[in-house]
Amino acid sequence: MFKKFDNYRYLIPKSYKQGMRIDGLVYADDELIKQIEKDQTKDQVANVATLPGLVGRSLAMPDAHQGYGFCIGGVAAADADEGIVSAGGVGFDINCGVRLLSSPFEIKDVKPKLEQMLNQLFRDIPCGTGRKGLLDVTKTELDNVLRDGAQWAVKNDYGREEDIFHIEDYGKISNADPALVSSHAKDRGHHQLGTLGSGNHFLEIQVVTDVYDDEVAVRFNLYKDQIVILIHSGSRGLGHQVCTDYLDIMQGGMRKYNISVVDRQLACVPIKSSEGQNYLKAMAASANFAFANRQMITHWTREVFQRMLGSGDLKIVYDVCHNIAKYEDHEVDGFRKRVLVHRKGATRAFPKDHPALPEELRGVGQPVLIPGSMGTCSYVLVGTDRAMKETFGSSCHGAGRAKSRTQAKKETSADQLLKEMKSKGIFVRGETRSGLTEEKPDAYKDVSRVVEVVHGAGIARKVARLVPLAVMKG
Amino acid sequence: MQANYKILEHPSDLGIEARGASLAAAFQNAAQGLMSIILDLSTVESSEMRELAVNSSDLDQLLVNWLSEILYLYDGQRFICRDFIIQKLTPTGLKAKVRGEIFSENKHRTKLDVKAVTYHQLFVQENKNGGIVRVYLDI
Repeated sequence: MFKKFDNYRYLIPKSYKQGMRIDGLVYADDELIKQIEKDQTKDQVANVATLPGLVGRSLAMPDAHQGYGFCIGGVAAADADEGIVSAGGVGFDINCGVRLLSSPFEIKDVKPKLEQMLNQLFRDIPCGTGRKGLLDVTKTELDNVLRDGAQWAVKNDYGREEDIFHIEDYGKISNADPALVSSHAKDRGHHQLGTLGSGNHFLEIQVVTDVYDDEVAVRFNLYKDQIVILIHSGSRGLGHQVCTDYLDIMQGGMRKYNISVVDRQLACVPIKSSEGQNYLKAMAASANFAFANRQMITHWTREVFQRMLGSGDLKIVYDVCHNIAKYEDHEVDGFRKRVLVHRKGATRAFPKDHPALPEELRGVGQPVLIPGSMGTCSYVLVGTDRAMKETFGSSCHGAGRAKSRTQAKKETSADQLLKEMKSKGIFVRGETRSGLTEEKPDAYKDVSRVVEVVHGAGIARKVARLVPLAVMKG
Repeated sequence: MQANYKILEHPSDLGIEARGASLAAAFQNAAQGLMSIILDLSTVESSEMRELAVNSSDLDQLLVNWLSEILYLYDGQRFICRDFIIQKLTPTGLKAKVRGEIFSENKHRTKLDVKAVTYHQLFVQENKNGGIVRVYLDI
C-alpha cells in the first residue's frame, strides 16, 4: 500500500508493517512504481524502517529493486550516537562504484579504431572470474593499498596527483584499518587488484550525445561528440569477504546487544560498539581497495589510448561509490545532526558549496554518474540542495534490473545479442557468452525514465547523456 | 549424473535449492550447485583433497558459513572444490573432506563470478525424507 505524494514520491507509512519506526519513501513515477511493486522492494524498504536508531525516512531511489535485506537503491541514515550500522546495508561489493574519464578525442577520431581498442582493453585489463590481476601485491603492500586507496596507486605511478581531487573522499577513506580485514579477505584480494570483475561490471567507451546544462558540462570538462570512458567495478573478493566476515560477527553482536531483526541479512550492531567500529574500519579499507582498483584500470586505459591514438590524456570527471556507509552532517527535524548514511546502490549527490567537494567542484556541485545498460545510455547529473534536504544527499545509481538472469538468458542468445548490438554500432566483448546475455539491455529498466524521476524530483539535475560505442564485460 | 540441486531465480541474482537423503547430503549438493554456477565442473578433476572445519551457532549460519568457505577456497586459494563429503554435521559446526584441483586459466571453463552467500530467504530443513536447503547468492 503506497500513498502517492506527488508525481515522483510514494510514501510507505509506518502503519504498513508492524515494527516500522519511521516511514518509507520511494521515488518513482506511475510506471516505475508498478515495476517496483512486482518484487519485494516495498517490504525491504519497510524492513529497513524497523531498524533501531534510524532518522528521517527509509528511502528507495527510482532504480530500486529487490536485494538482500536492504533493497538495491536503498538509503538509510542512522543517528551517529544512538544508531546502528549494518554490513548488509552496505552490501557485499563495498564501494562498488563508477568512474568517468573524459578524453581529448571526438567520435570521428576514435570510430575507425574502436574494435581494435576494445580488443586491446580486453587484453590489458583482466576481467571475469578466475583471472589474476597483472600484479600480485605482497601482504605488506596490500596493507598500504587498504590504508591509502587511490592515493597508493598514484604514488606508485598508476596515475597523476590531480586524479585524487576527482574521487569521492579523495580516493582514501581515512579511518581504514588493514588489521581488521581478515586473512581470508586478503587472500581473495591480493591477486585481484586491478581487475574488473564480472556480473554487471564493465568498461565502456562512450560518446556524449546530448548536453542539457552547458554551464555545468563545461565545468565537468564534457562536450557534445566527445569520447568518454565509464568504468564500473568494486572491491572484488576482498570486499565481498569483509562483508561476509562482519555479517557473521554481527549475527553474534545482535545477541550481545539484544537486537532482533526481521531478516538476518539486516544484521546490525550499535555504531559505537567495538563490532560496529571495527566493521567501519574494515569497510573503509575495502572501499580504499576499490578506489585503487579503479585507479589502476584507469592507468591501463590511458596506456591503451596513448598507444592507439597518440594521447592518453584522460581526465577523471569523477569517481563515486555506490555501496558505502559514511559519517555525514545533515539537517534532521530542523537540527544539524551527525548521521551514518548507508547507501546501497545509491550515489552521493552533494550540491555546490558543500565542504566535502574539492575547490574546483565547489562552485558547481558533485558529478553524479548513472550508468545504463550496454545498449542504451548513461547519464551525468549534478547534486542539488534538494537532495541534501530530502535524501541525505543521495540519488539513484543506475537503471536497476527488471529481469532475472535466468529469464534474460532464456529470451536471447549471445549471437542474437551481439548482432543486435552491432546493428546499433556497438562493439561488445565479454569474458563469457552467458555473462553477456544476462546483462542484455532489456534486462534493465529504462534508465532515461529513472533519470527523469531523479531530475523531476530535484534530487539531482541532468547534465549530459552518454551512449556506448564499445563495451567490455567481465 | 543428475544434479541434486536446482537454480532459483531472483530479480538480480541466483539461488540454489538442494535436496539430499540427509541434511549433510543437501549441504553437499548445495556446495556442488555453488561451484557449478562459477565453473563448468566437467573440466575439473578431483586430484587433491582438503579437510575443512566450519563453525556456527545454528544450522542457518552453518549453511552460509559452509558455502562461504567453499567460495573462499576458490576465490582466495584458487582451489576448485568438485566433490564434497561431510563427515559430521551438528548445528554448531561441520567437518568435511573436499576434493578438486587448483584453478588453471587454460584448463577450466569459467562461467560467473559469485560474490557471496546471503541470508536472504535462507531455508534449512531436515525431516524423515531427508534434507532440503535454499540459499541465495550475490552475483
